[in-house]
Amino acid sequence: MESTAERGASLRGATVLLGDRAVLRDLDLDVGPGITILRGPNGAGKTTAIRALAGLVPLAAGTRDVRSDLLYVGHRPQLLHGLTARENLRFFVDLRGPTSMAPASPAALGSDGARDARIADAFARWGVGEDADRPVERLSAGQRRRAALARLDTEWCGLTLLDEPFAELDEDAARLLRASLVAARDRGAAMLVASHGHAELDDLAARVYRMRDGRTE
Amino acid sequence: MRGALLVAARELRADARHPDGVATAITFMGALILIESLVVGPQVARESAVAPALYWIALLFAAIVVTTRSFEREVADDAIDAVLALPGGRDALYAGKLAALAATLAVVGLVGGLLQIALLDLDVALVGHALLATALGVLALPAVVVLDVALTLRLRARAALVPILAAPVLVPQLVAGTNALGTALAGDASASLAWSGLLLAAALVYGVVGVTLAPAAID
Repeated sequence: MESTAERGASLRGATVLLGDRAVLRDLDLDVGPGITILRGPNGAGKTTAIRALAGLVPLAAGTRDVRSDLLYVGHRPQLLHGLTARENLRFFVDLRGPTSMAPASPAALGSDGARDARIADAFARWGVGEDADRPVERLSAGQRRRAALARLDTEWCGLTLLDEPFAELDEDAARLLRASLVAARDRGAAMLVASHGHAELDDLAARVYRMRDGRTE
Repeated sequence: MRGALLVAARELRADARHPDGVATAITFMGALILIESLVVGPQVARESAVAPALYWIALLFAAIVVTTRSFEREVADDAIDAVLALPGGRDALYAGKLAALAATLAVVGLVGGLLQIALLDLDVALVGHALLATALGVLALPAVVVLDVALTLRLRARAALVPILAAPVLVPQLVAGTNALGTALAGDASASLAWSGLLLAAALVYGVVGVTLAPAAID
């Protein structure tokens, strides 16, 4: 298991091309323990930077170094239509297996019952409640978003990448998100949060990057 | 293997809850067999060399319909990104889709085959051999179809590209499947088994190639 100091990820000289256009240009980015904010206007390259760290876009140049197991929650909920929110979260927990920051107690991870209890707790906390057993395509955008963010409390990873997590959240859910991020920070997790302008987390941030035209300023 | 089984189970659960993709594939297959039979004429369509060819062509397009529907569900809310971001996610996604498509095609192929037998009043001399050929054909098609749909996932011309990419690669499977079924209809057991052996070989070779290429191909 990695130590807290090692936890995180970085991009060095990262360039990503979309056709003949560079959407990331020689980008250096370090994400260490605590909350790192990636701020910039629409089209600055924040989403591409996060997707590059998640290994979802190929680098035309530069390197990617990820030193932890990672949880990536994009600006869309990433829940499969046709399944309920609960079935989606079960799938993610089962596919991922044990995580680096999971509680040490075997009961916390070891059985389907423990997994289901953890998911039920997360849904209760996030106010998904009865909607947890409805197919996700029938949920409102806000409830889908809450269900997706409940993954923060069911998959405890060393590195969390969040793209515009406050989008579509009401004030109550925004408070819950902030509390989840604080809890993860206190566990020693590394987090990168992309936001196009809101300052919800600035007081908690260990570092703030500002992006424009595919580079940090 | 565990990841692939989880993806396959997730796929089949979503299919069971919303069977529109399977229903579309069966309807499409029945309509295609009927239209093909009308075009060539009922007598020609009943011939043991022709009826299986119509069947496999229809099943190939049904496979494309089911697989395309499956990946559309993946990209609807970017669910695919969450899987791909996990270690081993690409392998699990490809192998899981492969297994789920084979299971779905078994149902579509069986229903489509029964439809064809009823529509054309076909006599099947060797039922066991015909079932074996169908089962092996169902295993031989998905590796290429899933890979091609995954490759063209973000392209607007996907609907046109998938058949163009898949059909030429699948000619050996279509030839083997047609002959395996045709000889089973005509009562030639040894020839049917020989062609079925080719289908098995194709399923293994293309399966291995697909599993090897898929992680690099899926983005």
